[in-house]
Amino acid sequence: MAAMSKLLYTLKKEFLLITRDVHAVAVLFVMPAVFIMIMSLAMRDLFDSHGGVTIDVLTVNRDGGKDAETFLKAIGGLPAFRFRAFERDAAPERLRERMLAEDTKFALIVREGFSAAVEAAPGGKGEAPLELLVNPAVTVQTQMVLRGALEAKLAMLRRDAFVARLGDILVAAGIDGESLRKDGGSPVAVTYATRGGGSVKVPSAVQQSVPAWLVFSMFFIVIPLSNTFISERAQGTLMRLKSMNVSRVALIAGKMVPYLLINGVQVLIMIAIGVWVVPLFGGTALTPGRSPAGLALIAAAVSFSAIALALFIASLARTSEQATTIGGVLNIIFGALGGIMVPTFVMPRFMQELANLSPMAWGLQGFLDIFLRDGGAADCLPESLALGLFGTVMLALTAVILRRQREG
Amino acid sequence: MIEIKHLSKSYEGKPVLDNVSLTVKRASILGLLGPNGAGKTTLLSILAGVTAKDAGEVKVGGLDLGREPGRIQRMCSYVPQSLAFYPRLSARENLEYFGSLWGLRGAKLRERTAFSIDVGSMAAFADKRVDTFSGGMKRRLNLAIGLMNEPEILYLDEPTVGVDTQSRNYILATIAQLNRERKTTVVYTSHYLDEIEQVSDEIAVIDAGRIVLHDAKEAVLLRADAVLLRVAKLGKDAAAALERHQGIRVEAGSVHVKRDERFGENMAAAFTVLSEHGIGVTDIVFGRRTLEELFLKLTDVRLRDGE
Repeated sequence: MAAMSKLLYTLKKEFLLITRDVHAVAVLFVMPAVFIMIMSLAMRDLFDSHGGVTIDVLTVNRDGGKDAETFLKAIGGLPAFRFRAFERDAAPERLRERMLAEDTKFALIVREGFSAAVEAAPGGKGEAPLELLVNPAVTVQTQMVLRGALEAKLAMLRRDAFVARLGDILVAAGIDGESLRKDGGSPVAVTYATRGGGSVKVPSAVQQSVPAWLVFSMFFIVIPLSNTFISERAQGTLMRLKSMNVSRVALIAGKMVPYLLINGVQVLIMIAIGVWVVPLFGGTALTPGRSPAGLALIAAAVSFSAIALALFIASLARTSEQATTIGGVLNIIFGALGGIMVPTFVMPRFMQELANLSPMAWGLQGFLDIFLRDGGAADCLPESLALGLFGTVMLALTAVILRRQREG
Repeated sequence: MIEIKHLSKSYEGKPVLDNVSLTVKRASILGLLGPNGAGKTTLLSILAGVTAKDAGEVKVGGLDLGREPGRIQRMCSYVPQSLAFYPRLSARENLEYFGSLWGLRGAKLRERTAFSIDVGSMAAFADKRVDTFSGGMKRRLNLAIGLMNEPEILYLDEPTVGVDTQSRNYILATIAQLNRERKTTVVYTSHYLDEIEQVSDEIAVIDAGRIVLHDAKEAVLLRADAVLLRVAKLGKDAAAALERHQGIRVEAGSVHVKRDERFGENMAAAFTVLSEHGIGVTDIVFGRRTLEELFLKLTDVRLRDGE
């Protein structure tokens, strides 16, 4: 009973210290909530195939023929792009000026002779019928998306023209020309690979943002925890606790248990924001996966390693400023490296391998196993074990440092 | 109550405590004086089980500190020089937290909390955050936390640093009251010699890690309260003859005559001995030599930094 009383009063003390520290509340709860909101909404269209048109494309129809009109009408239905007609006779300089003035990402020129090129026999050589001006700020990936879409529409137009030219031959052969012209939709069927093979919602920005910024904020526990620990040392509270026969194990446990719960509260709040708050602002609702056990396991593992790292930094640092700087910088490096700020799949190969060094990457992959891949506890076990091992090493080092300080 | 034998401690090869031996009687108040860096805090932190000793023996209540630190720590309380609590908590929350770590709970915890609030005279602001307290209020809380476990021994490291006169007097009165009514043994370090003089039963002076004086307060003050006869040159025979008289002491080539009930008799004896040995008196210094003067003499007057 006495042990339980000690634990309860320790929990109460740590919760009061956290909730009465505006900076700690900001770092642990406000910062990740804001990040999740911003990133979920900012990246909504990047992940959402049904999102609104966001990329402007100026179009200049120098051909003016029927095929050019048909082509422009066809590309007008492309998702994620908005085509706006510009002056037919505009000089290239004027077009460039307009693009840069409006920060328009693309300008598409349908050259003279476009219709002739469409009607010509396939394989003909000559000037390209389309010209694409690209704003240098546009990523190569986005440019490739637009080019692919334009080429596909042009190919369809050529196919239709070719079928029309065959006309009587097709009739004589008993082939329905109209059926050849029908667009059967995309020939590629997309299925998301999930752990259980079950159905899952299309990955959305919120599915990516919540785990990423949740892991990031859980590791930011280093700031309040190390500050409390260093204050205890500087103010002599740690000395007083030692004089009260409070063991090193109890000292460490007295930090771990309250902060495990604080991390747990973070997990619940961030998931709640993803599920209920993000949709209020037009984002997609978070689907928290099917495995509460898996979620609890990976959350506990991330929390354990974050707290152990915080204790290690706190035992090394002499001042709160040192701990804040070391902890903050280390977190940002772990975050940048571990795919929090930039998803690892867009990183080059060697960076993806480097990302494996970051415990945040292990935590993120574990959460993605649950949130995105519909996995369970077994699926996030490898990441959880890695985090557990990392935390154990940090704790062992902390215990050694504390013992040396006592003996010193 | 506390027996310290040949205690030594070094930091990075530099001795901080050097063969310290000291005894503190049960229910007494030992005032431990020493300049900065003398080893006072290190001695207290070893007694409190916070810092490990290098050599020597410490027994508290008959128990060996090296073998049974836990049992000893439960009967002691250490009040560090720094304000060792949580400023963002209220006084009551601090007291309850530290009390719970002593294993107190329920009615007992509430009772001890109320007692400590009362002793610290903090009833009016017990539920206010400590970071709004004045320096004196914080010092009283620092002491009050140390009383939560009803300690038999109280280690106080400069408990009145930076407080106003009222709080200082209150703290000193509280210590005296605890000693008088609860028979609490107190080891008390301070830079304020008048405090030591006010509350202590015994005084020890530590310098450069060594105990240079340890005696009952009255005996120490008696040494301090004397008339000084400065003489040209004092031979060994004359010194020996003088010191045969109780109340006459030879120190640094001068003759000290205690101002007690035999003062007149001793003064006459001193002049007689000096006359018999043909030694002239060059100066007579009357007046009370304060504890501070004695302290400075024992520990040297140069500046000390470090502790």
